[in-house]
Amino acid sequence: MADPPPYPDADEGPDRRSIAGTTRWVKVFGVIAVVLALLVGVLVLTGGGNHGPGRHSGSGGTGSQAPPSGVRESGDVEGHAPPAGGHTP
Amino acid sequence: MSTRPWVRKFALTAHIVSSVGWLGAVACTLALSVVGLTSQNGEVVRGVYLTLEQTGWTVLIPLGMASLLTGLIQALGTKWGLFRHHWVLVKLVLNLLAVAILLMYMQTLGSLADMALRTPLAGGDLDGLRSPSPVLHGVGAVVLLLVAAVLSVYKPRGMTGYGWRKQHEQRKTIAAADAVTPFR
Repeated sequence: MADPPPYPDADEGPDRRSIAGTTRWVKVFGVIAVVLALLVGVLVLTGGGNHGPGRHSGSGGTGSQAPPSGVRESGDVEGHAPPAGGHTP
Repeated sequence: MSTRPWVRKFALTAHIVSSVGWLGAVACTLALSVVGLTSQNGEVVRGVYLTLEQTGWTVLIPLGMASLLTGLIQALGTKWGLFRHHWVLVKLVLNLLAVAILLMYMQTLGSLADMALRTPLAGGDLDGLRSPSPVLHGVGAVVLLLVAAVLSVYKPRGMTGYGWRKQHEQRKTIAAADAVTPFR
């Protein structure tokens, strides 16, 4: 966020930035956000977005593997334990 | 809330550096992710996924947090405010979204790093290690941070209802003060 002029409207006319209500660009942003949210939702529901930890642990073999790196020696990431259900951002 | 000019300049510099640095770091991880997805060298693929996790914890998260924190300081310490202008509000939402997704995604990067340590360096196992997920998330993050940068520069007009009310209150206050002391 940039530094505004000392008096935001002084050098741009009083209404340059003081338009009330939802402007066109905000509406466009909103539509794009809704479309993206729906897209992500559909991907998650159809399995396309299933990229959580569970997905990768399936092909990792069994317990006879090399120990994890130093960061993950406790089976955790610096105390950041994943939730039971993984995540689906 | 108003702050001294040097504090404002310092906060602005910190915000720009952390935000642009975050964008650059995400672009680097995107490039690494593409290498991890396409390289035929097992050591390279393994190294990529180990590096992505470390980069996430040591670079991406600190820069993301710094960008969020300095942005809040910058908004609350200037006349822009945090909830008065749509572009500031949209930037706040984008920043919060990016940090939240990044924090959650660290679990996946951690799993990929674990798997990279376990996976043999040759054969079909390497294909199991490769994941398009970091590439997709990297592209999304670059787009999101670019949008935030564009908003910062162009500052498209438009006030929220709260900002509009606040502005009217301020103008009324100034008008009332002028009426009381017309020859200030």
